[in-house]
Amino acid sequence: MSRLPDPIREGLARGWRVAGGPHGAVPDRLACDVAIVGSGAGAGISAEILTRAGLKVLLVEEGPLKTSSDFRQLESEAYPSLYQESAARKTSDKAITILQGRCVGGSTTVNWTSSFRTPAATLDHWQRHFGLQRFGNDELAPFFEQAERRLSIGPWLLPPNENNALLRRGAARLGIATAAIQRNVKGCWNLGSCGLGCPTNAKQSMLVTTIPWALDHGAHLLVETRAERLELANGRVTALVCVPASGEGPATRITARHYVLAAGAINSPAVLLRSQAPDPHGRLGQRTFLHPVVLSAAHFDGKVEGWRGAPQTLYSDHFLETQPIDGPIGYKLEAPPVHPVIFATTVTGYGREHADLMRQFPNTHVLIALLRDGFHEQSPGGSVRLRGDGSPQLDYPLTDFVMEGARRALLSMMEIQFAAGARRVLPVHELARPYLDWNEARRAVAALPMKPLLAKIVSAHVMGGCGLAGDPALGVVRPDGVHWQLQNLSVHDGSLFPTSVGANPQLSIYGIVNRLAQDLARRMGGRDAILA
Amino acid sequence: MRRRSWLKLGIGAAAVLAIGGGAVALLGPGWQRGRLAPAGRTVFTHVGRALLEGSLPANPAEQAAALDGLLDRVDALVAALPPHAQQELSQLLSLLATSAGRRALAGLAQDWPVAPLAGIQQGLQSMRISSLSLRRQAYQALHDITGAAYFSDRGTWPQLGYPGPMDI
Repeated sequence: MSRLPDPIREGLARGWRVAGGPHGAVPDRLACDVAIVGSGAGAGISAEILTRAGLKVLLVEEGPLKTSSDFRQLESEAYPSLYQESAARKTSDKAITILQGRCVGGSTTVNWTSSFRTPAATLDHWQRHFGLQRFGNDELAPFFEQAERRLSIGPWLLPPNENNALLRRGAARLGIATAAIQRNVKGCWNLGSCGLGCPTNAKQSMLVTTIPWALDHGAHLLVETRAERLELANGRVTALVCVPASGEGPATRITARHYVLAAGAINSPAVLLRSQAPDPHGRLGQRTFLHPVVLSAAHFDGKVEGWRGAPQTLYSDHFLETQPIDGPIGYKLEAPPVHPVIFATTVTGYGREHADLMRQFPNTHVLIALLRDGFHEQSPGGSVRLRGDGSPQLDYPLTDFVMEGARRALLSMMEIQFAAGARRVLPVHELARPYLDWNEARRAVAALPMKPLLAKIVSAHVMGGCGLAGDPALGVVRPDGVHWQLQNLSVHDGSLFPTSVGANPQLSIYGIVNRLAQDLARRMGGRDAILA
Repeated sequence: MRRRSWLKLGIGAAAVLAIGGGAVALLGPGWQRGRLAPAGRTVFTHVGRALLEGSLPANPAEQAAALDGLLDRVDALVAALPPHAQQELSQLLSLLATSAGRRALAGLAQDWPVAPLAGIQQGLQSMRISSLSLRRQAYQALHDITGAAYFSDRGTWPQLGYPGPMDI
């Protein structure tokens, strides 16, 4: 256990208003100015801004409040306690595994700190196709700057770990540009376990920034409490009904002047679906995007030790920037951290072949390609629907258009790994095997059937489903984040995005929600408030 | 797995069982009261042997202990899954534990405890590359749960050359 100071436990000792789970029973009825569902990127920013504006804020989080004292850098503890569905959330055909946080701080508590502003090309596309004229690069810049200052987002000055350095070396030999990733850290120990919760509180997640600030200034947090449904009447939300996440105990009815959904791009649409929210144009839960990710593993003679050091510090947008955004699907390249469980489940095969791959663990380099979905008519994303028990599931058909992009991405990654000096390269596909040279690998991958449940696909970026649009026929919420049909309900999370972002989405959520929350605070009669 | 696919499989398996003289009502669940039921333990023991060959200790007593530990960790892993996933896995394991289901899904003629390792691996390979997405789903569920449960234990880390978390 970390012996470092734990600001969350100190806050609780100071008298933060936290209820639910081990923090005590939640009252039957609660009232506030703004009820926020979720506690991740969008919820945290909204909570701080609205609290700064003098409004009474209440957050409802389904997951537990875990703190640095709990973060022992163990996958066996982190996945069940910090992730949706124990880090095994799947699309309905089981072809894509989805990593999303489910704890105070949401995905920001477990992400790998990569911070990118929304790419200008993405904003241009939104302006042209979704009537989002106010979403220009220059117009959003001040809101990104505030988020960057507040969350210590900046250059990473230590040398990249070998996993990332190999991306740069291989790409450079092929004339492919790479660049540094900005990170949201302060006093980072370079441990490499960001995905398991930061035990030193260096990662400037919502868990250690906006939410403590809001709690110190009077906000109220319910944990281990599930937002079940909204009660609706006459185009307004009249209450938010919550139940204990354990399934045992009485319901709580929360009344507020305004409600903010920030539960992530699967759970936010699900709350609206369970509430039978109006959806006259059939947009709710549609166009959900994932940045479907394919992977390539390579063995090097030297040690890589991909578990050690800041996880993602270099990237390449070569395969996004050298082709039109609405043409064949492009992809961003990054080098992810590897730990035993995530590696054992991701790497294909069984028996001695799998054992051999596991023994090569310290010498294994992994690249991922994030496919930029949502910009082409053959990439319409997926749709969220409800199971019989009310829980959400995502249908995400992996179209041939997407899977051909996956094939090109595997080829690009393998070529970079061979250029970096890999001894053998394994594209992560059930019919592939480790290849010894680039020509053999190229021929083999050109012939692989690119089908779901053969090519391994994962995602950690769920976006869309409650898309922003300037026209009610094109989206679920207005450009100010307010629901087109429900006047006191806003969506403030990654569900807002009308396409995928084309970059790790945390800073896109911070920046865009920062503006929406400031506008909301003003409309509600609050004081002017900025993040930093 | 998709509810519709499961229904289809359920009907198919029911027909096979009826022909074989069994009845669906006799299917024991694979997961019950928060842990693997006997059907589930049997399947995971032998699937574990096949998937982890080369990673498990070679010494029979040590291997048996490692498989016991694996089953305990599968219990913990599955207990943390949401109810819909537990239910699907329970159905999968209960089918795999019947002779008809084992033949239909894994293409394995002999029962788990007597089937040779190579036979079980062949069955897994046929699921892995099957044209039926249901069989591929089943393979990946077994692969991922086994791999996650086994390598989450720090006792397996020395053979991976993984030092474990840094003390802070």
